[in-house]
Amino acid sequence: MRYKVEPDLKQDLKKFGIHDEWKDCFHCGNCTAICPLTENNFLFPRKAIRNVQMGLKDKITSNLDPWLCYYCGECSETCPRDANPGELMMTLRRYLTSKYDWTGLSRKFYTSHFWEFGAIIFIAAIVVALFAIFLPPAADLMLNPKNFINEQGGVMINNLSATFGGDNFVSIIEWGDWTMAIIVATLLITNILRMFYKSIIKDYTIKVPFGSYFSEAWQLVWNFALQPKFSKCDKKSYWIGHLLLMSSYSIMFAIIVVLLPKFQIEEIKPWYNWQRILGYYATFGLLFFLIYVSIKRFQAKEVSTKYSHITDWLFIIMLGLTTITGILVHFFRIGGLPGATYYMYVIHLAILVPMILIEVPFSKWSHLAYRPFAVYFSQLKKAAYKKQSSVKIAVAA
Amino acid sequence: MKSIVKTVICTVKTDGDYSHLFDYEDIVHYADHIEGVLKVLDISKLPVKSPLQLSEILRETGADRIVIAGIHPGMHKGIFANAMLRIGKKAEDVILADFTEYAILNGKSTEMAKAVLLCAVKGIEPSSVLIPNEYEIMPDTLVIGGGIAGIQASLEIANGGQKVYLLERTGTIGGHMAMFDKTFPTLDCAACILTPKMVEVGQHPNIEIITYSDVRKVEGSPGNYTVTIHKKARRVDINTCIGCGTCAEKCPRTAPSEFDSKTTLRKAIYISFPQAVPNKYLIDADHCTYVENGKCGVCVKVCPVPDCINLDEKDTEIKIKVGSIIVATGFKVFDASRATQFGYGKYPNVLTSLEFERIINASGPTDGNITFRTQDKKGNWIFTKDSGEPESIAIIHCVGSRDEHFNKYCSKVCCMYSLKLAHLVKEKIHHADVYEYFIDMRAFGKGYEEFYERIKGEGVHIIRGRTAKIEQKGNKLILRSEDILNEKIIEQEVDMVILSVGLEPTEDSKNLASLLGLQTDNSGWFNEANYTIDQVNTYTGGISIAGLCQGPKDIPDTVAQASAAAARVLQRIIRGSVKGSIKDLSLRFVEEKIKALM
Repeated sequence: MRYKVEPDLKQDLKKFGIHDEWKDCFHCGNCTAICPLTENNFLFPRKAIRNVQMGLKDKITSNLDPWLCYYCGECSETCPRDANPGELMMTLRRYLTSKYDWTGLSRKFYTSHFWEFGAIIFIAAIVVALFAIFLPPAADLMLNPKNFINEQGGVMINNLSATFGGDNFVSIIEWGDWTMAIIVATLLITNILRMFYKSIIKDYTIKVPFGSYFSEAWQLVWNFALQPKFSKCDKKSYWIGHLLLMSSYSIMFAIIVVLLPKFQIEEIKPWYNWQRILGYYATFGLLFFLIYVSIKRFQAKEVSTKYSHITDWLFIIMLGLTTITGILVHFFRIGGLPGATYYMYVIHLAILVPMILIEVPFSKWSHLAYRPFAVYFSQLKKAAYKKQSSVKIAVAA
Repeated sequence: MKSIVKTVICTVKTDGDYSHLFDYEDIVHYADHIEGVLKVLDISKLPVKSPLQLSEILRETGADRIVIAGIHPGMHKGIFANAMLRIGKKAEDVILADFTEYAILNGKSTEMAKAVLLCAVKGIEPSSVLIPNEYEIMPDTLVIGGGIAGIQASLEIANGGQKVYLLERTGTIGGHMAMFDKTFPTLDCAACILTPKMVEVGQHPNIEIITYSDVRKVEGSPGNYTVTIHKKARRVDINTCIGCGTCAEKCPRTAPSEFDSKTTLRKAIYISFPQAVPNKYLIDADHCTYVENGKCGVCVKVCPVPDCINLDEKDTEIKIKVGSIIVATGFKVFDASRATQFGYGKYPNVLTSLEFERIINASGPTDGNITFRTQDKKGNWIFTKDSGEPESIAIIHCVGSRDEHFNKYCSKVCCMYSLKLAHLVKEKIHHADVYEYFIDMRAFGKGYEEFYERIKGEGVHIIRGRTAKIEQKGNKLILRSEDILNEKIIEQEVDMVILSVGLEPTEDSKNLASLLGLQTDNSGWFNEANYTIDQVNTYTGGISIAGLCQGPKDIPDTVAQASAAAARVLQRIIRGSVKGSIKDLSLRFVEEKIKALM
């Protein structure tokens, strides 16, 4: 197998990351040895640095290593050359996201502020316009706000719209939810197929045994839910924090997409109701993690939060705004303020929708799908290596 | 040339390393007032540096000659030569005024730049005017540092018939080389080479050894220095002590032995090693009970020589007059506990190479047996003869060297001495497994590559990959590293780890540099006059440098440099004068000299 050297790769990578200190690497192997996650055949980050230094684009795109790294930063802390291998892995994740994405939008969002902000504003405008055209506020929302308050003193959220009163409102929002979910899922699944093609099919050095596709499938669920690999990093607090965030937004996703008809109802349940408890847990989890990460990124003391790409900040800001507007909707509703509830609801969606449509398939948040699949694919590769080495031994014997 | 040549001066200000050392505005102002200068042009302010544009300017001014002044002005000569040809003038009339070599003269650089510029305008070679003063020289020489470099330099000068003062900070000369077991690549016994030289120094009529002392003040000019030396109280009379050792036998206090790099204990009254020169005892005031609280004095009671030990002796200062100084202060090894990932100071069987050098030495604390470090009754971690033998030893290269967190430079000797240690281990324990972890193997020099091949042939496992961390499990140490050439992560279990620590300038080298007016580089090594062609002289006339204090090097290089430094000193003494520093020149002096020449 011959690999083509692409000298321009270095210039290209610069657009995805802030630093190019990996040029200084003299390949002592310290980063690989200090990393608790690296294994034989998956010797990152040094081999990734080597591929980048050599400009071996095919090797980089077929490489899953960047997804197996959780960026605890130990490699960068102990690197004798200050070559910052951890940040290179982060940069490569951005680069790979853009390579997996067939629409080419991911690359645009990562490399151009104009595209990134333009897309967010564009989608937000569409959301606002859709509300203005199809679900405008009921005419008497301003005149007789009392009409929209139920006997519990809360806002009747599903009656706020003029065109579609009653249950229609929630079913339209639910319909929108599912449309969005299907768009995102289609993009992610096609991208994952491309990832599979690039990393397994195009890796001519391996041949995956068919049975392992099924026997390793449990890795997907297991790694998606608990990130057991992350827990092997020496800095356990990162894992716990990440788990808190992940469980929070998973719950939120379930509530606002899958269970929306049960969640967005007129009746205000008592505070100890399981729905409300879950909602509060998720809100708390999101807020706590966002504040924690913002402080860390602002201080920029530890390696893993030292170098913040614009997309890192954007993710935090948008998730934060979504959370805050969500909280406001909740309290305006309980407080019996129909007008405020309605407009805050629109603002909430005008932030939430672009965040999901841009961050999940094209940007930072895509790692929620790529990471577990990368672990799964790496297990397939491992199975292939195992089989190959046993074949070699048999031949030798 | 009596007539005034019309000249245009172009200054070149680059963003390089040295430009900030010059006051360009001042230089331009000065250049404006030189007779015959038509225009001073700052070409870094020109939007385009094209020959066409420059020839326009030259034609306007009607210049006959251009002087390009700045750091490495030769880089721009092509454009200017082209411009001159365009207006029908000769390309030879582009004259360079290069400031580069004067950048290092702290505070004097601008003045010297002006002088060089003046020379260029007047059409005079700077080297024919910028000649430093010659000073008459005192024949005596001071050598600071009694290691192999100092010993070699002293012997060369003394054998040439000149008086040498050899100053040493510790109680004995010998330095680091006396601590080593073998030298690479010949595997000669270090002591067998060094001790005869030490004895020769000790007995030489032309050498006066001043031990346990350091330099406090240096006054005077090249060729005539008055050096104030602080002599720490030895508390034992160096003239009457017979070196019998009765005092040390009875002394109740112990302290870690510096000579054995703290692998064993010595008494408070001690002699560094049996071959010490001068072979006289001394009292370590930091550990002496009498010095601490005035009670004890056992040594005085048992000493067979009357009035030999004077526990109340005070530090003294002496002044000597010398003509030349050779600085040979050597190095210190990197403090391995700073590299926390290796657990030095935490795990008892993680050693530095210097410690291992002592325990493998036949005259060391274990009589040359490789044993484990154990705790004695008082809680000191020391080596004893009978604490068991390691079966496997790992040697880690580049500890404290080639590391952005500590020292960026390569310490040059570690690869070779690590190979030597691997050989010595194999020699002492045939069945031992020896693992070497290196980043790059630097076997430069005569016979070194062959030595490397030889060690590989002896069955030492030589692995490319830096050890990331060491952990202790039971009595075993586990090293985790990447075997880069095999593309495997390896976790190796060994009994003992040797850290090949790098070399660093001594703590007081900065202080000494300021006393002597020397410059140090970013790492703290003394700057030489010219790295390629003059490694022994400094910019301060009359002061030479030799050995490790100039930069990491091995023993053969050190000895060669020491001899070279001695040759420079002898050269000055034979000529009877010493060239002063170019720093001592003044602009007015140069101006007057040029006026006289015109």
